[in-house]
Amino acid sequence: MTTFNTDMLGEWFDTLNNVSTYNWQSEDLKKAKRFQEVLTTDADPIVGQTPKEVVWTKNKAKLYRYQPHKPKTNSVPILMIYALINKPYILDLYPGNSLIEHLTNAGHDVYLLDWGTAGYEDRHMKLEDYIVDYMPRAAKKVLKRSGAKELTMFGYCMGGTMTTIFTALYGKTLPIRNLVLMTSPTDFADAGMYTNWLNKDTFQLDKLVDVLGNIPFEMIDYGNKLLSPISNSLGSYVSLADRIDNDNAVLTWKLMQKWLNDGVPFPGESYRQWIRDFYQENKLVNGTLEIRGQKVLLSDITANLLNICAMRDNIVQPEQIAALNRNVSSKVNVLHEVQTGHVSVTTGRRAVTEIHPYIEGWIRTQSK
Amino acid sequence: MYDQTENTWRDVIEKTLEQPSFAEGLGQVQSQYLQMQGFVNGLTENYLKQMNMPTRDEIAQVASLVINVDTKVDDLTDELEAQLDGPLEAQRKEIDALKKSVTKLDKKLDTIITLLNTSIANQAGPVPSTSTPSPKTELPKTDVKKATPSTDTK
Repeated sequence: MTTFNTDMLGEWFDTLNNVSTYNWQSEDLKKAKRFQEVLTTDADPIVGQTPKEVVWTKNKAKLYRYQPHKPKTNSVPILMIYALINKPYILDLYPGNSLIEHLTNAGHDVYLLDWGTAGYEDRHMKLEDYIVDYMPRAAKKVLKRSGAKELTMFGYCMGGTMTTIFTALYGKTLPIRNLVLMTSPTDFADAGMYTNWLNKDTFQLDKLVDVLGNIPFEMIDYGNKLLSPISNSLGSYVSLADRIDNDNAVLTWKLMQKWLNDGVPFPGESYRQWIRDFYQENKLVNGTLEIRGQKVLLSDITANLLNICAMRDNIVQPEQIAALNRNVSSKVNVLHEVQTGHVSVTTGRRAVTEIHPYIEGWIRTQSK
Repeated sequence: MYDQTENTWRDVIEKTLEQPSFAEGLGQVQSQYLQMQGFVNGLTENYLKQMNMPTRDEIAQVASLVINVDTKVDDLTDELEAQLDGPLEAQRKEIDALKKSVTKLDKKLDTIITLLNTSIANQAGPVPSTSTPSPKTELPKTDVKKATPSTDTK
């Protein structure tokens, strides 16, 4: 047993107190200063840096081709479709942290259909307008520009649901070889808290669209943040304060905050259709969804399917994603589960080291 | 400290958010907000009309007209590309076939001319070269050949 020398113990406390007080003050001041700089005066990081050219435009939408002068070793081009919420540069966030950069560096011919920012004049645009009037044209432009005979469709989040519908409708008329989806919901029977909040009895859907026209980004963002209110508000700042000395961590934090707060309004009629047909009536998986009079049947999908499911996603529940694999007719039918969240599936350390190479490898193998 | 706070409150908040009463409350707040927003929209529109200024709807209408023109230009571009790509390929094939036919025709004409020359020569018998011009000079083979490429160029 060690016996306490009270004098020594007292000294140790004094020293500890002095040192800790001194260090605490200087370090804390330094950190607080840096924290304040990051939040107020630091320049925003430049996102979407992979070189690209505009191939086609329609209304606010733009079709980009990435790194056109890079040698293409894969003959099947990739057409990426993003959601009508937020901006698509999350797929090309920052050099070294970009799915698009990874794919183009590996020799893929990558195209992205950016929906742009809807104006008040676009409030009548329905989901079917985007799926029928824009997507097939973009696919044809990709085929023509690349000179390819087939293409890979890639969809993220809601863009993946749109891509799924598109593939079901146009799989017979357009040469869609592969279908790659990331955190894309198909079954809305249990959409977590959204099922409660968006139910027909309490949610004023028609009134919302009729009064506002387009749904402001802030309203959608508020809903998403409400899923996990403490970590989505206070948590992100605590996490910044914890890692304020780490430049890489600060850069990642700034990139994420920039993207999370840089949303676009949701075109009104598309929102009405999205909430009613999907969240309230779950038409897609039930086989009752009609797009301009055409019935959408998931069993019509025969393209090779890679469906990526983020197991820690609180925006799209894993079960909402997995339902697609049970309903398609694809011979190659893969459900790939990853231990990430809704956004960290495409950006961040795990995405860069595990998910990007996996997607690249899968597309390359299925394109041979 | 933050983790402890989050752990303590997370479950309580989640349980509250899951309650049907929360969704009902959300619906009521939404309804009141929309009522107020609708009122403000109407008021703003009336004010702008009184001030002879364009309303949001009117500006959006102009934007819609621009979008319609954009759509038409896009349609025309597609149409033009289809016309240039599709029929041009067919025309190229047709021209190739025509070239082959003309070449065949040229050969046949050569044969006919040769045969005609021989026949004329046989019928006329030996003629002094100085008095009568030879049929070859009257209907030179080269003239026929020269005519062919000019058709191609057209």
